[in-house]
Amino acid sequence: MGEAVDTARAGAHEAPASARETEPALRTRSLRKTYGRTVAVSDVNLTVPRGAVLGMLGPNGSGKTTTIRMLLGLTEPTSGSVELLGHRIPEHTGRALPLVGSLVEGPGFHPFLSGRRNLRRCAAVEPGLFGSDTDTAVEQALERVGLSEAAERRYRSYSLGMKQRLGLAAALLVPRELVVLDEPTNGLDPAGTREIRRVIADLHADGTTVILSSHLLSEVENTCTHAAVLREGTLIAQGALDTLLESTGPSLLVTVADTEEGLRALREADLPVSQENGDLRVDLSDNRAPEVIAALVRAGVEVHEARRERAGLEDIFARLTEGET
Amino acid sequence: MRRRSIALTASAGIAAGALGLTSLALPAGAQNPRLPTTTPQELVASVLESGRAPAMAGTVTVHNRLGLPALPGTEEAGEFLSGGQKSLRVWSDGERGYRMSVPTSQGEVTVVDDGNTVWKWTSSERTVVKHHTGEGEPGTRRDDTPAENPAELARGLVGKLRDSSEVTVDGTTRVAGEDAYELVLTPDPGERTKLREVRVAVGAEHRIPLRVEVNTNGSGEPALSAGFTRLDFGRQDPELFQFTPPENARVRTADPEEGNHPEGEQRQRANSTSRLVGDGWDTVVVSELPRQATRQEDTAEREHAGSPENPRGILDTIGEPISGSWGHGRVVDTAAGTAVITTDGRVAAGAVPRQVLTEALRNS
Amino acid sequence: MNGMVSRVEPPSGVRRNGPAPFWRVVRSELGWVLRRPRNLLALFGLAMLPVLIGTVLTLTDSAGSGPSLFAAMAGNGLVLPVFSLMMTQNLLLPLVTAMVAADALAGESAHGTLRGLLLAPVGRVRLVTVKAIGVASMIVLAVGVITLSGVLTGLTVVGGDGLVTLSGTTLPLGPALGRVALAAGWCAVQMAAVGAVALAVSAATEHPLLVMAVTVGGLIVFGVLEAFPNLEWLKPVMLTTDWYSISDVLSDPIRSQDLLTGLWRACCYILIGFSAATARMATKDT
Repeated sequence: MGEAVDTARAGAHEAPASARETEPALRTRSLRKTYGRTVAVSDVNLTVPRGAVLGMLGPNGSGKTTTIRMLLGLTEPTSGSVELLGHRIPEHTGRALPLVGSLVEGPGFHPFLSGRRNLRRCAAVEPGLFGSDTDTAVEQALERVGLSEAAERRYRSYSLGMKQRLGLAAALLVPRELVVLDEPTNGLDPAGTREIRRVIADLHADGTTVILSSHLLSEVENTCTHAAVLREGTLIAQGALDTLLESTGPSLLVTVADTEEGLRALREADLPVSQENGDLRVDLSDNRAPEVIAALVRAGVEVHEARRERAGLEDIFARLTEGET
Repeated sequence: MRRRSIALTASAGIAAGALGLTSLALPAGAQNPRLPTTTPQELVASVLESGRAPAMAGTVTVHNRLGLPALPGTEEAGEFLSGGQKSLRVWSDGERGYRMSVPTSQGEVTVVDDGNTVWKWTSSERTVVKHHTGEGEPGTRRDDTPAENPAELARGLVGKLRDSSEVTVDGTTRVAGEDAYELVLTPDPGERTKLREVRVAVGAEHRIPLRVEVNTNGSGEPALSAGFTRLDFGRQDPELFQFTPPENARVRTADPEEGNHPEGEQRQRANSTSRLVGDGWDTVVVSELPRQATRQEDTAEREHAGSPENPRGILDTIGEPISGSWGHGRVVDTAAGTAVITTDGRVAAGAVPRQVLTEALRNS
Repeated sequence: MNGMVSRVEPPSGVRRNGPAPFWRVVRSELGWVLRRPRNLLALFGLAMLPVLIGTVLTLTDSAGSGPSLFAAMAGNGLVLPVFSLMMTQNLLLPLVTAMVAADALAGESAHGTLRGLLLAPVGRVRLVTVKAIGVASMIVLAVGVITLSGVLTGLTVVGGDGLVTLSGTTLPLGPALGRVALAAGWCAVQMAAVGAVALAVSAATEHPLLVMAVTVGGLIVFGVLEAFPNLEWLKPVMLTTDWYSISDVLSDPIRSQDLLTGLWRACCYILIGFSAATARMATKDT
């Protein structure tokens, strides 16, 4: 009997191992979720390559969390399919989820139990842990998030940041192939946020795929290799961060003495200009910088400084999501 | 989808559970058995001779829709007559041993007849009443055998009614798993009664009555039915027919002649002053109320009116006034019978319309 | 934040496929149920009840009056556990049962921990099974605590060795304890029926209070419906119908008919409740 089980195990291990190099960590096809007449997510085709750190961006209500819940089998899609680490979700959550650590919709723990007891409870249901490993894993996870000292205190008495860190500890109880973090820096102070970034960077260095949802653009820009932007349930952009940023052309930021004058001069010259913090921003996709400076000088506007700038994620996000507002 | 199939299986579980519950609500439908034909006379004879039941254990369920108020001084019989459903258990060793156990609101009343002594245990009072019967006929225990027993009930009814009835056999039925004949007594055309018929299911194998139903005019459901819901024939544990009073129980020996037994006293009196007017279906019982009850009324202790000790008080609260050449009083009409209580302390009751009662009062 | 070390060697355990061992999950669940302060408080309260009843019984001489069975209890200590079960089974035990069942799924959902369990992952059917075992264990404990406290109080405070049955026979201590155990077992099955239905409600909501309200409210509605004679036809399907029959274990021989009917009915309720809880969990978006 034991032999049979072992063979079955070996067999089950083989498929994902051989597919590992080629299969993406996550692939969804035409993912759609409706609640009654409300469409929460529609036609999402998202692919996350192995080893990527994907930032999911989108304003509140854009379907980020619903999408994540469908990825993890918490919510059943109305239509479409999810393949997580090569396993179909929600049919094979049992095979995929042991390899996935997650912190979704905030940390969930029991207030009347201590941090350690809460984590032990998580460890007890963790398929990847056996025997004495359970306790070791709990202690290591507590140490990793800096909660060893507070482990005996009841969860009730934890600060928001400590709660968040305990949630992270639960997600990282065992080594994972994929880690899904939903708004991981919520409630953390700047130091805590930095630490989370370090954890993500380490996971990335280990080759772990990370999916991160956030409304903090700078966070995504700093930590992610890939980004996906959702608006009103639709995936409007996805890809490697570099590619995304390059798809939007560079611009020239000009500081002038009289902004009004400069604005008028450039508009007369038919140059795409906008005002930004008292400076002028000119899109350089179709124009060259000398032309802009020349136009200003011709109109007698004093130019103090001009510098080329690559578009930030903020610009892309603003441009992509402003659409109907 | 896997989740769908789980949900589907689970729904089947819900359905199975619901079905299980409904099976409790639905009566077990059984085919009426085919039995060799028999004559009404044969069945009547076996009912009347059914004094000696074979060794058995059974549960008798009584449904009562007579609509009578609880009458005083009747104890079990009173509880028996008051409305509702109850079930009691009976055991018999086929010889002289007999045991009966009746649940009450406060516990249980158990009657054990070991052949020489009848023990009556009332758990709520922790009392035992001992009654020596000696080496008499088995019938001597009848006083303590309440009318619930279908055999006793059937014997009483069939004995009184057969001469004024059309007696027929109406096919077969099953009672508590036993095949049975349905003996039906219908009043002769001249009988003035509220009853439509009396049905007695007589067991085919042992020829003892298993169920009695009293049906009234204008109602599909029997006004009174008493029948076995469970019945097992076979040798019973002899321990059942022995009784040792528990340690700290009050034990009293009942001696009917002594007369200090309230229940016995009242029964004695009721017997001595009541008589039957008419016969068959329109028999009317006319009796004098126990003196105590009348006296209470005379001294106008109105606050006791309606208390269970005062039958007239009960009638005052539920009956309606009636008067005639026989005097005046109050009358209670139910589906199965009528009762009149007069101001001078006479009571007339029977399964008859009221003018039969007033006639009986006039003639008494 | 200094302690937040980011690189920790993974535990040396060998990765294996398949879910976490079933009994480890059950043990963890039981530990969770029994660490909850209010559950312990409830058990303590239930244990005190027979002591209270026994004391009242010996201090006051109220033979012949009071609730049914009360009279049978004087000097007859082993009636006390049965009486205590009968008294608590109407409201207190269902309340405790509903409380635990409410915590089991609705409570976990409200704390966000249900998500954690599903993401571990604990399979949904397995989760309902584990939760049902948790609720059942608490029921057994609650009933056991009442029974044990009742037996001890009965034997020491009320007195009597053996049991005078309602039928007037005297049972020696051994069989008498057997009767008490029978009553406890029967009561536990009835409570399991309450628990199964409560678990189904618990699976359908994330408000623990709603579970308790629906469960206890449902029992009260049954009680009200029982009072209407024209709703007699409903009686066979109402869970509470035979609950007073628990005192039938005190008859000699045992009056088994209603007990068996009640048992069958409770089993139907358990099947319905458990199936409904499973169905809801299987399709639930959490």
